[in-house]
Amino acid sequence: MKKFLSMVLCLIMALSLCSVAGAEAAYAGEIKVWVADNAVELTKTLIEQFKTEHPEYAGITALVEAVGEGDAANKMIVDVDAGADIFGFAQDQLTRLVAAGALIDMLPENAAIVAAENDAGAVAAATVGEVVYAYPITSDNGYFLYYDKSVVTDTTTLEAVLAACESAGKNLYFQINSGWYNASFFFGAGCTLTYDTNDQGQYTAINTDYDTNPAAVTALKSMIKMAKSPAYVNGSSVPNATNIGAVVSGAWDADAAQTALGENYAATKLPTVDGYQLGGFGGFKLLGVKPQTDEAKLTACDALALYLSSEKAQIARFEEKALQWGPSNLKAQSSDAVKNNIALSALAQQLNFAVPQGQYPGCYWSATEALGDQILSGMYNEYTDDQLKQVLVDLVKSCSADVIQ
Amino acid sequence: MTDLEYFKLSKPAKMWHNLLTSLRNLPKSVLGKIKSFFMFFVHLFVGFFNEIKDIVLTYKNGDWKTRVSFTVMGFGSCARGQWLRGLLFFAFQTVFNLYIIFFGGAYLAKFNTLGTVATTRKGRVTVYGDNSFLILLYGILTIFFVLAFIYTWRMNVKQNKLAEEVLKAGKKLKYAKDDISGLLDSQFHKTLMALPTLGIFVFTVLPIIFMILVAFTNYDANHQSPTNLFTWVGLQNFRDLFSTANANYANSFGQVLLWTLIWAFFATFLNYFLGMLVAIMINKKGIKLKKMWRTILVMTIAIPQFVSLLYVSKMFAADGLVNSYLMRWGWIERPLPFWTDPAWAQITVIIINIWIGIPYLMLIATGILMNIPADLYESARIDGANAVQTYGKITLPYMLFVTGPYLLTSFIGNINNFNVIFLLTQGKPDVLGNKAGATDLLITWLYSLTVEDTNYKMAACIGIIVFVVCAAISLVVYNFMPSVKNEEDFQ
Amino acid sequence: MKKENQIPEVDIVVDHEAGVIREVKPEKLRSKKGHERRVNTSIYVLLTVMSIIWLAPFVFLVLQSFRCESGGQVNYLLPKQWGLDNYVFLFTESNFPRWFMNTLTIGLVVAVVQTVIQLSVSYTLSRMRFRGRKLFMKAVLVLGMFPGFLTMICLYFLLKQLGMTQAGAIPGLILIYVASSGMGYHISKGFFDTIPKSLDESARIDGATRFQVFLKIIMPLAKPIVIYTILMAFMAPWGDYVFASYVAFGKASSYNVAVGLYQWVNTNDFQGYFTRFCAGGVIVAIPITALLLALQKYYVEGVTGGTVKG
Repeated sequence: MKKFLSMVLCLIMALSLCSVAGAEAAYAGEIKVWVADNAVELTKTLIEQFKTEHPEYAGITALVEAVGEGDAANKMIVDVDAGADIFGFAQDQLTRLVAAGALIDMLPENAAIVAAENDAGAVAAATVGEVVYAYPITSDNGYFLYYDKSVVTDTTTLEAVLAACESAGKNLYFQINSGWYNASFFFGAGCTLTYDTNDQGQYTAINTDYDTNPAAVTALKSMIKMAKSPAYVNGSSVPNATNIGAVVSGAWDADAAQTALGENYAATKLPTVDGYQLGGFGGFKLLGVKPQTDEAKLTACDALALYLSSEKAQIARFEEKALQWGPSNLKAQSSDAVKNNIALSALAQQLNFAVPQGQYPGCYWSATEALGDQILSGMYNEYTDDQLKQVLVDLVKSCSADVIQ
Repeated sequence: MTDLEYFKLSKPAKMWHNLLTSLRNLPKSVLGKIKSFFMFFVHLFVGFFNEIKDIVLTYKNGDWKTRVSFTVMGFGSCARGQWLRGLLFFAFQTVFNLYIIFFGGAYLAKFNTLGTVATTRKGRVTVYGDNSFLILLYGILTIFFVLAFIYTWRMNVKQNKLAEEVLKAGKKLKYAKDDISGLLDSQFHKTLMALPTLGIFVFTVLPIIFMILVAFTNYDANHQSPTNLFTWVGLQNFRDLFSTANANYANSFGQVLLWTLIWAFFATFLNYFLGMLVAIMINKKGIKLKKMWRTILVMTIAIPQFVSLLYVSKMFAADGLVNSYLMRWGWIERPLPFWTDPAWAQITVIIINIWIGIPYLMLIATGILMNIPADLYESARIDGANAVQTYGKITLPYMLFVTGPYLLTSFIGNINNFNVIFLLTQGKPDVLGNKAGATDLLITWLYSLTVEDTNYKMAACIGIIVFVVCAAISLVVYNFMPSVKNEEDFQ
Repeated sequence: MKKENQIPEVDIVVDHEAGVIREVKPEKLRSKKGHERRVNTSIYVLLTVMSIIWLAPFVFLVLQSFRCESGGQVNYLLPKQWGLDNYVFLFTESNFPRWFMNTLTIGLVVAVVQTVIQLSVSYTLSRMRFRGRKLFMKAVLVLGMFPGFLTMICLYFLLKQLGMTQAGAIPGLILIYVASSGMGYHISKGFFDTIPKSLDESARIDGATRFQVFLKIIMPLAKPIVIYTILMAFMAPWGDYVFASYVAFGKASSYNVAVGLYQWVNTNDFQGYFTRFCAGGVIVAIPITALLLALQKYYVEGVTGGTVKG
């Protein structure tokens, strides 16, 4: 009996010790991370480094899965509970994720670090309402012109690029059935389209002059004219382009463009068209942390996400040949390697004419995609200016569908 | 008119006849439907009343074993030696009680509001409130369980009554051994149907009821479990679907419905007639290598569609193989807009669907052609009918007759033909001002609403509409079907 | 194939003369023969053109899978540099073998279980008359008119509750495929309907139980439909993209081939995987094609039985 009692006492003591220790010690357990397929290995390495640099988190087991940036948001929204604890996504998904409760607002200390170390656009892209929700990891979601030096010599105007492609029997790829790319024309011509959001990720207002500004008609006409050229092909993926003269795409295609064009690989800012410089979006990739019910786990996730978005991690991702992701971290941006990269310097030139991509709702993307599809179908080819104006009025109406009244 | 006379009519005459008959019968059949609808409720009410009466009488007239069984299920059966039945009843009751206490009860209690406790934050930690999704799902499950329990309890009472009657008459009861051997013989259907029916119930009926109910809630991107609650909104979603106001679903809906019907019509009948034609060509006297032709065509069935259709969709892209070669050969100046022009895209998917569909029809037609009695042709020949006449008088009517039900299933299958559209166009190209693309079928629209927009409430509405369309078509077609099909005739 | 000889000769010759056979004169018969030859020739031409159209995409697919110079899409057919690189990649550097085994496992298990269930249900519905039979058949008809996607999200959460998503996706998918197999009874019921009932009855008089009748008398006669059902059940899981991707929920080791390969052509993370997709497609297509071609005869009998009686 005595023995039994002492055993029980021991057990109670051990348990209480455990619980005390448990409250203080850092989280030890699984953390699920979703990143793009080609970043999986690098992310695993970075997490190992994180564990050696921060021994208090050595107990973490990271499960890194390949879930692409587009897919991650869809999956997180379906089932937050089963989704990743830390996941990468493109900024256009931010409000959806916030509205679905798939992102936790950032720890104020971390938010301060993020704001200090990254470029202003990146921080704005991670903010909904007044709240910072995600860690910027790249500042390269913009597009510019890849071209074949032997085909295109004059990249100052779109007309010249098209003419060169036409005479060489090559194609110019520029995806206009996407609101991301066709904004290049509208913004370049001097129009604006932005939305206001509240803290819950809902859209409260649309600010645009597409329906009133005559420049919008000019932009639309430039697209229609471009689509008429036999050398023009709608598309933006370098590996899927079969006959490249020039491609409007982003830094993620740098490796593929180098392979496809070889010696003749070149990149620069977008050309001008009808007398105005093509603009566009400067976008960002973000890293999000989902809400947790376990405080220790949340702290660990915060620390890990901060590490994975740090200068060091961003440089590592830039240096990985398969990735070459352009950093959002200011120090990383100023490194010579980044500055000398052909694609990234072309991007940097173009970003002078681009606006940082804020928050855009689903209706914007579907309406602008529809607009592009209709341009491609040749429907507007014979339209008068007044008819085109009406198209733009319809466009704005469609773009307002998700704005709450 | 006898079937034989009917069979001899020409096709238009036949259709005319069907139309007249169905019109003549219309008032009668509508009246009959209304009557049977009311009679259904009358029967239901009478049946319910009789059941209650029987239960009360069983209690009143029963012995103590029976009475105990009212609260402890299976007691009477066990006490009378039918221990297998008794134990099963008792086990079911125990499971049910445990389920309600530890799981189902809580969900059922919140079913009318779908949860009221909101998600809150305690510092940085999230404390999840009620999960509307799970309340709805497990609420339905619990209701099913309760119904099953009531049914089983009723059976339990009935069993006691029966056993008492059997014993009173001095006969022998069925014991465990009889029960088991009966399951392989007189009750064999129960053995065979039990598991499949359970599977259908849990994994088909339950989810369908769930989604029907979602159509009456506000479950969408802004009301997403577990963080946000959703709740009942009545018919609001249907009102939105048919309204042209802010969200403008009505336009998109009309366009998609129209295209779905056009698509289903062409996909069904083009494939049907072309497939039959190919079968006839291959089976024609004097054509050699029949097996080889068939085998080549069957390739499209064998190769998974996600491989073949994805590949074909890339082939027809603006800079894909087809356009590139046509341009290289100088046949066209600029790429043909296979996937970018709405009309082109619609025609292209219909044509590519022929590529997928002909082989199935060819196989079916081949089998059926083999089954046409040869003497039918012989007598036609002796009567001096030529090939076209034989085809019109024998082959086609026979084919239409035996494949009538197939045509219907295939039409409904095409309304729900997700793969072809999703893999070829994903519903694109989009139409400005519409929420759906030009080649979107109801089913692919439903998919993008669920997966891309997480607009479950609207998807559920559209799902219900799909059901209504399919059911309406089936009803109409069944009324026009040549001769009522009687199962027993075939055996 | 012996059956060939039994196919009745169906004439669809467009014959404007509408002659009566008995009155045909010898020279007319000759011209009729010439006419016949012309018709046959044109049918051959038509069939050849069709065969080319039907086979072309598959030939192209195979050609692309041997292309080594680049992984993206190109606008020419013949690879400039032939090789097995894509196949080597599939089996050494990717998850493809895992996906293939997953799908194969699902296919095999589903083939067995679904066949047992489907045949049980269709045999019962064809042979026995019991309360609820008509109700069951009507209910299945009605349930079949609801689009399946609607229920996807609900099924996902049911499976999740059972721990059958992500890492457990394979058993989960099997469960879902098998659970509703009772609804696909039409074709095999049609087949059972053609087996005379008198066979059962005489055996029953001899004292056999229903179970014995099913096992010893019906099953041996039902070989074509058994094979057809197995074949169909085995083939279906290979093409499932939508639900399989839901259930795997980002767990790459739980993908089936459709989910795995689909992402290679349709997501931006996998630039230049097109030829690898083609190679994967070829590997997937080979076993299924071989199986279907080998069992084509049963397939025809099954489909025919089903549509005639379904």
